[in-house]
Amino acid sequence: MEKVVEVNFGPQHPSTHGVLRIKVKLDGEIIVDAQPVIGYLHRNAEKLSEMGLYPKALIYMDRLDYVAALNMELGYILSVEKLMDVETPERAQWIRMMMVELNRIASHLVWLGTHGLDMGMLTPFFYCWRERERVLRIFDEITGSRLLYNYFSIGGVYSDLTPKGIDMIKEFVNTFPDRLEEIQSIFQKSYIYAKRTKGVGKLTLDDAIAYGVTGPLLRASGLKWDLRKNQPYLFYEKVNFDVPVYTNGDVYSRFLVRVEEMRQSTKIVKQVLEKLPDGDFYNKKYAKPMLVRMKGSGESYVPTESPKGEFGVYVIGDGSTIPYRVRIRSPSFANLQAVSIMLKGYKIADLTATVSSVDPVFGEVDR
Amino acid sequence: MSILYGILKFLHWPLWNWYLYGYPAGLWIMYFVDAIIEVVLVFAVAMLVVVILVYVFRKYMADIQNRIGPNRLGPWGSLQLIADVFKLIQKQDIIPKNADRIAFRVAPYIIFTPVILGMLVIPFGNASILQLMVVNFKYTLLFLVAAMVISPLGEVIGGLSSHNKFALYGALRSAAQDIGYEVPMMISVLSLIILAGSYSINDIVNAQKHIPFVIPEILGFIVFFLAMIAKQSIPPFDLPESGSELVSGFSTEYSGMRYGIIYMGNFGFMALASVVVATLYFGGPVGPFFNSVLWIAVKSAVFMIIFLLSWIALGRVRVDQFLNMGWKYLLPISILNLLISSLIAIYFGGAF
Repeated sequence: MEKVVEVNFGPQHPSTHGVLRIKVKLDGEIIVDAQPVIGYLHRNAEKLSEMGLYPKALIYMDRLDYVAALNMELGYILSVEKLMDVETPERAQWIRMMMVELNRIASHLVWLGTHGLDMGMLTPFFYCWRERERVLRIFDEITGSRLLYNYFSIGGVYSDLTPKGIDMIKEFVNTFPDRLEEIQSIFQKSYIYAKRTKGVGKLTLDDAIAYGVTGPLLRASGLKWDLRKNQPYLFYEKVNFDVPVYTNGDVYSRFLVRVEEMRQSTKIVKQVLEKLPDGDFYNKKYAKPMLVRMKGSGESYVPTESPKGEFGVYVIGDGSTIPYRVRIRSPSFANLQAVSIMLKGYKIADLTATVSSVDPVFGEVDR
Repeated sequence: MSILYGILKFLHWPLWNWYLYGYPAGLWIMYFVDAIIEVVLVFAVAMLVVVILVYVFRKYMADIQNRIGPNRLGPWGSLQLIADVFKLIQKQDIIPKNADRIAFRVAPYIIFTPVILGMLVIPFGNASILQLMVVNFKYTLLFLVAAMVISPLGEVIGGLSSHNKFALYGALRSAAQDIGYEVPMMISVLSLIILAGSYSINDIVNAQKHIPFVIPEILGFIVFFLAMIAKQSIPPFDLPESGSELVSGFSTEYSGMRYGIIYMGNFGFMALASVVVATLYFGGPVGPFFNSVLWIAVKSAVFMIIFLLSWIALGRVRVDQFLNMGWKYLLPISILNLLISSLIAIYFGGAF
């Protein structure tokens, strides 16, 4: 009699965060083999981007990691600006930095809430959503939309900060750390949560590097690698923040890393509010009518630290108004491949914990 | 049999004096009709409690989670559950193609059975001369325990018959969980029997006139309480269902009113469990100042709230962790408790 049972987790399953399918071979409750199967949300983002003008590809970037859309836009915009040697005013760069950090907080909050659901905790989900809602309201006020912004433009941003928006951000950064403390304590003071996550889904540093894992997973495995520090873009060298690093490489360390990152992001937003210079919020040379005529040639790649890890867009221009090649380096895609080694030998219950600790967003994995 | 007797006496219709060929046929009819009336009454009360419990659960959970909860139907959304039930009844009754049809259909009712069976033997106190207890005989506690054991059986049958791997895993977990907590639970019940010197719940309640059993039996209470949480399969011990891991565990393939019956059975069992805990360890209707059905209502309401809080606030443990807890901690604790209560029964036997 065959002892090993093969079970399909997903693509429709409450804890796969979208359309991930994991082919799991189970011996009783123990996972013998787990293979993630991806591609259910493939939307051809790269090819579509190569079919339109440079600024038009931005909306496809929004839809990659839809819970951190501004981070995705940033990766593309920085690459395109490098390709075309576009100067960006200082104020625009500071605004970008602030918005990206706010979006990082929103993204991590989504992760924290759904991670709680995966661990069977219903309540923290709503607390996280309450805080995320405040970030989304800020985005609604400043960019005009709540989820997919289309906010960064080549040479700046599409709209300036409003006074009301600045007030909302100030109120948010002043109250958020306390609330985060509260949410964190729901997890951290729970004996059950600690028991479920400590030592689960272990990823050694060697494996992490071999699989190209980046972001919070890599930092939880013990390598202090944050592109904001190691290869600063925007003005990250001018602000003061720490990079949390834990060495256990388990789900619990990933939780700690992400929570600490939210705190550091709040710190960055606070500093940006103090240092925000006056001036243009976009390069007057590249006003909206100009954008459609922009030509690029050569190639460029600017890696950025998205909430999930290293995100960058490799753009090749052939001198026309349409990019020749747009290649997206998406962090979750690489991170998700490591799931199969993270899961081997653990139990079914650890599968949900581990997969959710990777924080995959399928718009970005399948592109 | 007292209700019908009272009514007939009021109507001056002495049915109990009717003999047929020398047999007391009138008395038999009275027994029969009375049994039906009382079971229906208990069922109605249980359903009423379930309706209230589901409403309180939703509102309380919503309040904790910064939501409003149901607020559309009826005053403060109180008719939401009834609307939900109607919706569930209207749904198509789907049975998987390869399922064991008979077992699949029977399982929800098996889950619901202990709610009614258990409620039959609970003494709810006295209303003037009428004792609010449907069945009273010498071994009511044994009957209660036997009735409560039934519901996991329904989970196992439902899971195995669904022809679905997730349901299969839910059923296996349910079986594993059962043997994990049921042995310690039985042993802690046993120590109650030793302490009270009787198998009758009535005697156990009467023995708690001065000191509720929770004081000498604190260890047994902890074991029994955890076992009750596990029996209802609510978080942190909702392993057979475990929403995020096994889709919905044993109830994955259930939909429509069959799922509704499972849902109601869970909440009904929560009501039963809190009543049982209040009766066995906190004296049930016996309370300070006066003895009344009011006391058991208050006590069980407190436990219902505690169960709901555990549901709302806690995460889920892993299967192996739960089994560890059951075999390595609950079982020794309950045996220690048995020892303690035996000593109490030997040396202070007259105190209770």
